[in-house]
Amino acid sequence: MRGLNKYFSIAKASLEVIFVYRAGFAFNMIGTVFYVVAMFYLWQTIFLGKPGALGGFTWPEMKAYLIVAFILNSTMTWFDEWQMGADIREGRVATDLARPIDFQLKRFAEATGPVPFELVSALGIGAVVAVVFGGIALPADPVHLALFIVSAALATLLKFAIIYCVSMVAFWTTGMEGVSNGRMAVQNIFSGALIPLVFFPDWLRGFASVLPFQGMISTPALTYLGAMDGPTTAFMIGTQAVWVVGLMLFGRLLWRSAIKAVTINGG
Amino acid sequence: MAARLRRARWLVYIYFRCLGQQMKAILAYEADFVILMISAGLVQITGLLFIWTVFLRIPDINGWTFWQVVMMYSLIFITEGVGSLFFEGTWRVSRLVYNGNFDQMLLRPVSPIVQVLAADVGFNGLGNIVTGGVLMLIALGNVQVQWTPGRLLMLVILIISAATIRVAINLATSASAFWIRTPWSMVPMFVHQLGEFAKYPITIYSMAVQAVVVVAIPFAFVSFFPTAYLFNIESWSAIGLLTPLVAVYCMFMAVWIFQVGLRRYESTGH
Amino acid sequence: MPLIEARGLTKKFRQAVKEPGLAGSLKHFFTRQYKDKVAVDHIDLSVEAGESVAYLGPNGAGKSTTIKMLTGILVPTSGSLIVDGLVPHEKRQQNARKMGVVFGQRTQLWWDIPVIESFNLARDMYEIPAARYKANLAEFTELLGLAEFMNIPAGKVSLGQRMRADLCMALLHEPKLLYLDEPTIGLDIAVKDSIRKFIHRLVEERGTTVMLTTHDLGDIEDICNRIVIIDSGKIIHDGGLAALKDNYARDRVIHFQLARPPASMDPICAGLPACDLHANGLSLSVRFDRFEFAAGEIAAAVMPHVEVIDFRIDEPEVEDLIRRVYLGQLSLAAPEPTADTPESAVAAEV
Repeated sequence: MRGLNKYFSIAKASLEVIFVYRAGFAFNMIGTVFYVVAMFYLWQTIFLGKPGALGGFTWPEMKAYLIVAFILNSTMTWFDEWQMGADIREGRVATDLARPIDFQLKRFAEATGPVPFELVSALGIGAVVAVVFGGIALPADPVHLALFIVSAALATLLKFAIIYCVSMVAFWTTGMEGVSNGRMAVQNIFSGALIPLVFFPDWLRGFASVLPFQGMISTPALTYLGAMDGPTTAFMIGTQAVWVVGLMLFGRLLWRSAIKAVTINGG
Repeated sequence: MAARLRRARWLVYIYFRCLGQQMKAILAYEADFVILMISAGLVQITGLLFIWTVFLRIPDINGWTFWQVVMMYSLIFITEGVGSLFFEGTWRVSRLVYNGNFDQMLLRPVSPIVQVLAADVGFNGLGNIVTGGVLMLIALGNVQVQWTPGRLLMLVILIISAATIRVAINLATSASAFWIRTPWSMVPMFVHQLGEFAKYPITIYSMAVQAVVVVAIPFAFVSFFPTAYLFNIESWSAIGLLTPLVAVYCMFMAVWIFQVGLRRYESTGH
Repeated sequence: MPLIEARGLTKKFRQAVKEPGLAGSLKHFFTRQYKDKVAVDHIDLSVEAGESVAYLGPNGAGKSTTIKMLTGILVPTSGSLIVDGLVPHEKRQQNARKMGVVFGQRTQLWWDIPVIESFNLARDMYEIPAARYKANLAEFTELLGLAEFMNIPAGKVSLGQRMRADLCMALLHEPKLLYLDEPTIGLDIAVKDSIRKFIHRLVEERGTTVMLTTHDLGDIEDICNRIVIIDSGKIIHDGGLAALKDNYARDRVIHFQLARPPASMDPICAGLPACDLHANGLSLSVRFDRFEFAAGEIAAAVMPHVEVIDFRIDEPEVEDLIRRVYLGQLSLAAPEPTADTPESAVAAEV
């Protein structure tokens, strides 16, 4: 267990960096709220024009979905593919190899450090938006709330795992901006961040269901709302867990082969 | 007067010279600008996918139909692309000032604004222009419009005006670097995200929001009003004619704000 | 009519006085307190065309602030400043045409494009006539040895190469004024030497006025004929380099290398009364006032008593002198000692 101490200090250091840049961080976060607010207005207009539910969502439920999506999207934003590219370019990967530190765990520690800060900020902002727009649906019941927390945690882990895997591309390209944007675009559709997956036509829906992204937003949000029955909820959360484990392992595999390729070729 | 025109033409020449060199430099070592362009396209496609999915369930948004909203999107894509491809330099100002490298520009006998505008090239802009352009053509094909030469000319003017407004906003916010020192473009990014509101008809927003995007930071003139004019929607169409004036006004404001910022920079030292 | 005329030039910076931590930030939010820092304090400076002036001072003395005002990128708080008939900060771009700038730590070249393209851009920005551009480029390329890296981006060349390219870039448009800020910093001796020679030649042949700030006194010796020293915003010395050396840097040192350690120092000391002698094994050093003795006299006094294999002469150490000025150990405002009282030079030291 003593070996884990160093990861805790890495996480703490990461959190401290955010704190130093808290003004910039706050600005960034408020900037992302504009998107959410625009969504709120859009859906409000749509729901006002149509009595009853849309896609199985009532207006309060839709609002809850959007806020949950916002909060989940706001966590682990400090971690992205750029870092990996920078690390490689500036030789930090080489030095890390010489250290008794697990690269994936290290990145995980760095990514998780700021999460409490991000979470608190997002909750605060989310609460304000929710209140301004007349309140959101509450969790279906305490069981679902508990399940939601589990699902949300898994969603965050999943986010890390996916970004970690994608960032391995850094070993083969020079600029990560395009890769990162591409991943975010794909993630936005298939996670349900843009719009609940239920709105998609069947073929797209089917495609989304075999991808890991839905575990990032859709599953936790629907769990919160109690929109799925017991077995389905369990299945979806289980799927999240499987993807987390699978992608974490895949990431380690990618790392090992990348390092092998790099050390063979030198530099 | 003639001297001023000559000077203006020379400045445009210098701008293209600098921009051209930047393009060459970036093309030389940004091997994956193809990825950049593709990912830009992907981002736009996901935005489209969203609005298309929404319209599967509803006939219109406050009276605006699918293709009209798509037209708005296309204007946003195109103007964003133009900004990235030709005027990406505004995003560099914060870092230049922060690292003390901005003085370089002041020591040359060329307007710092021209140098700033030419300072960088974002090839993702090319992807945006292409997707936006294609989208616009499709949208125009799907909406009944009485095309006259006047209307066509107006279309071109509106696109140029919309792009100008975008660039002006970027330039103005980049001047924040002269007041707030950060290594990244904090204020420009913040304001840029207000552009989210430009994607949908502004009638869905509260009065406060409408006031912001119409008067304060006129994103509404990038997509909403030009589209309203072109497709003769409601009573807004007349306001769409104001777009070129708004563009000129924004550009003047942006240059003025930048110069105020410059004066501050030169007084307070660095 | 001087090229640069500064009268009572002053620059004050307002600095916010803020206590550290969150409490300090809050307090500052409500009761703003400012402290004025005077970086440049009512200086008078006159530079004629064709002069080459070394502008020295300890760090934080106000050197770069002055240069920034001269180049027009900083607005003075008060006082008047005219450079070639213009007020620099009011006519910044016009002023820029008449000057060339080489700031050692930063480059005027574009980072990512080949050096030659930077030059071409400069040609366009300064509107240099094509024929003049070609002639100047050819001359500077040859003199500074630029041909070998002309097509390499500035970001990829060595520091020495970059400095030479910067120098070329600064001069392509034949400016009347050349500002050099630490132009040889971090360079090796050979490159320093070629740059100094180049600038010296520039002054001689083209009459370019040079203003040089540096910590390297080798730069000064080779290029400048006038030294202006600034400290805490005030000019504390303004005069010729030769006069400075004559008055305050009077010591030379001859180091003799001997075949055998001297049997006794007495006879040597007897022959050199006012001198400082130092013996260490096989070497013997004699420090003497160069106005009092000629090097030959010293040698003649030493050689009868010891077998000299080799010797070398150290010139007046201006570096040491300047350092002592910076440290406040030597006040240049002290009355100038006359040639036959070397003791007074020592007395001026605090």
